[in-house]
Amino acid sequence: MIQKNVIKVSNLTKYYGKFKALDNVEIEIPAGRIIGLLGKNGAGKSTFMRCILGFLKHKGEIEILGNQIRRHQESVHENIAFIPDVNSLDDRLTVKQTMDYVSAINSSWNNTKAMELLASSDLKPQQKVANLSKGMKTKLYLLITLSLDVTVLLLDEPTLGLDIVFRKEFFNTILGEFYDENKTIIISTHQVEEVEQILQDIIFIDEGKIILQEDIDELKKQYSIFTVPSDQREKLEQHNPKIISNTLGKVSAVLDSKVEIAEAQVSRPTLSDLFLEMVGGSNEKI
Amino acid sequence: MKKFKALLIKDLQINKKTLMIPLWITAGFYLLILLISAVAYFSGDLNFNFADIQGTPPSESINYIVNIAIMGLPGLISLIFIIILTQGALNENIRNNSELFHRSQPVSIWYQSASRYIVGIAGNWLALFTIAIFNFIVIAIILAVTDKFIFGLAISGMAQSVVSFMKTGIIIGSLTFFCSAIFKDKAFLQGLAIIVGVQFLFIILNALMQWHLPLPLNYIIKLINVATPSGMDNELVNENIVYYIREAWMRIVINWNTLLQIGVSGVLFVTATLIYKSREIK
Repeated sequence: MIQKNVIKVSNLTKYYGKFKALDNVEIEIPAGRIIGLLGKNGAGKSTFMRCILGFLKHKGEIEILGNQIRRHQESVHENIAFIPDVNSLDDRLTVKQTMDYVSAINSSWNNTKAMELLASSDLKPQQKVANLSKGMKTKLYLLITLSLDVTVLLLDEPTLGLDIVFRKEFFNTILGEFYDENKTIIISTHQVEEVEQILQDIIFIDEGKIILQEDIDELKKQYSIFTVPSDQREKLEQHNPKIISNTLGKVSAVLDSKVEIAEAQVSRPTLSDLFLEMVGGSNEKI
Repeated sequence: MKKFKALLIKDLQINKKTLMIPLWITAGFYLLILLISAVAYFSGDLNFNFADIQGTPPSESINYIVNIAIMGLPGLISLIFIIILTQGALNENIRNNSELFHRSQPVSIWYQSASRYIVGIAGNWLALFTIAIFNFIVIAIILAVTDKFIFGLAISGMAQSVVSFMKTGIIIGSLTFFCSAIFKDKAFLQGLAIIVGVQFLFIILNALMQWHLPLPLNYIIKLINVATPSGMDNELVNENIVYYIREAWMRIVINWNTLLQIGVSGVLFVTATLIYKSREIK
């Protein structure tokens, strides 16, 4: 049966000392979607994911697949697989020991699929995880995650430090081997350009608050990039954009698609453009 | 149970090298003795017989005492390795950057904690047993060749020595495990420093204020109570040594202190796990 919402979060607030990392977050995450979670560093992305997994003390309520969760509730992990940085695998185990361990404690382990994935990879069962390259660790993490029949997959900056080839491979494998209409994937990443094509929904988070949750296609219809010569900058400024970018004698800004500016070039914005428009400028790459 | 078994196997695999060190030390020790014996043999100096020694205790005492004594060093090594393993039990995954991976698995924290506690303590017991069996065989051969081997007395000595160290191991291991829930680095030393600090503070306060504050270190030493067989008469022969061994069993195992040690160990494990459970995973 397909659940309407796989995750429902109400009044979620989290403090680290006096710092408010999450501020009264209210969100419903539907089943069968690939969702991007975007925010600057320290915006609350990882905290949000860790609260969902029951790792952090927090105020508010979290429901997963209709069941309210408590902190450190192991049954949460029966339905949710979590990939943080791929370096979090246990370096002291071998590839085989890691697979044996995960398969023995997860009732949803699909051994046939695991063997297929192992055979198609160049991972050697007796090899120590510590001796694997970062790319190989990614393959192992994918192997053990994709061999689990879970409903939700949380990815928290999973490709951090990987080169472009492995980053592409990572997301292609997730899309090809894991995703179907019953499964939900939430991806928090800085490399937004690489996941933009696979995302269906987007959540923008800033200073612990969810500032937007929207279907990406709908969002891109609502906004456009308007580009005018630099000497016509005021034409853009009239519409109060948060950021005006300078490029080769021209200036551009993300504005409502309904806006009409004579002689302006109009193009579709990327997620990065939309993020900067909604959240504001930052020196950090998103 | 399947999950717990998987955790035990995983923790044994992770700590296999550390658990093997006492075995390697023993093997090295034997190799050294073998080397010295070989040198002595080829130089014609190796000519040993218990009967040649003036005032040698009777064979019954030798069988019992030698098997107790031979486990002294392995027992101490075992205690050191119990401290090494239990003091990192709840922090090694954090240090190894794999805490998120392990905590993202659908398995109870109590199981995870119990598995590390068992491997830290019982894993070293297992190593101690292995050494004990090997030592027993070596001593049996030496006694059979040089004097007389009496199985019942020899195994009693060996068993009492091993059980004494096991009892000490569980309480020291539990204390260190508890420290590992509080301190994330060098848990044993930090725990010890605090206990010694409180001890000195209480001694000073008692002296200055004429108070009678209980001294924590005294209680801990009493609790650890390394109850090795002692006060043995050299002239014990077959009849009264059996009585002595029975009495030693009572002193080592069947007493209130054993119950207290098990109870306190249980409380320390439960408290450590509750503290570990209350930690946030950032």
